Amino acid sequence: MRTQGEAATWFRGLVLVGALTSAHAIAAEAWNIPHEKAAVLKGRVVDALCQLKGRCAPDCGGGKRQLGLVLADGTFRLIAKGNVDFAGAVPDLIGYCGRDIEADGLLIENPAITVFFVQGVRTDPALPFTPTERFKAEWETRNGQAAEWWRADPQANRIIAEDGPFGIKGLLPKPKP
Amino acid sequence: MTIMSQWRAAILVAGLLSTGFTPALAQDGQRVTITGEISDTWCSISGLMFAKGTAHHQCAVWCALGGIPVSIRDAGGNLYLVLKIGDDEDSVANPRVARMATHEVSVDGELLERDGVKYLLVDRIADDKGVITMTHEEYGIQPFGN
Repeated sequence: MRTQGEAATWFRGLVLVGALTSAHAIAAEAWNIPHEKAAVLKGRVVDALCQLKGRCAPDCGGGKRQLGLVLADGTFRLIAKGNVDFAGAVPDLIGYCGRDIEADGLLIENPAITVFFVQGVRTDPALPFTPTERFKAEWETRNGQAAEWWRADPQANRIIAEDGPFGIKGLLPKPKP
Repeated sequence: MTIMSQWRAAILVAGLLSTGFTPALAQDGQRVTITGEISDTWCSISGLMFAKGTAHHQCAVWCALGGIPVSIRDAGGNLYLVLKIGDDEDSVANPRVARMATHEVSVDGELLERDGVKYLLVDRIADDKGVITMTHEEYGIQPFGN
């Protein structure tokens, strides 16, 4: 049986643990990329070409166009990367075309370009972020399982077989001694 | 415009409105000619690997096919994010663009700048020299060495 004081201390501990857990849940993983800053962006998912130039397509281009978020202050943030290696985040965003979401990730304000690396998305602030890993799931549906999708991708392998790993026909790596 | 085409336009607009059509601040850009290397935007800014020339070609093909935005990096280090080439408005995992990874190109198009990004709507590729920056002797094949 806890005393009132012990119960209050226990409750405060619970609140603290809850707060820490919640903070951890929304904290993007640092990648130590120059100019990166962890951020949660809140905005509407839009097609970049439509947003910038008014050249619009149904369903934000159906997964064929780069996407971004329009924030409440009108800022447009292009989303360049998701959680899968060598892959973008369009598969994770396209289902939210025209809808407001929260995106947890790294805002990279490089002097050459500002982009967002999204690590998780959600529509309900009460729910945890869903990791941005749809590219791999969709790739595996089309091509089967692979530890490294990029080495097993038929299209990539066709291009590299035709043009070589250096992009110059006939130029091949030296055999390893 | 005929009544029929007016109806088609109205139906198209209604369809777009129902699927996230939110054009805002659509702008007229500046006519430009840009010369530089076609590269994936992520590797260019992440600093995780040497992202230039022959050493980076294979990685740039993977990233382009993975849907990472493709940019043209000019000699001054500016990045121009490509949203279309000619009539081809597919800017995600476009095999035609992936085949041009690390090529040195000159393009004519429209430059739109917004919120820290230079977006490029390419009208035509005026010149494509192929891959001319030879970096593999020094850097091997990025990022894994094979």
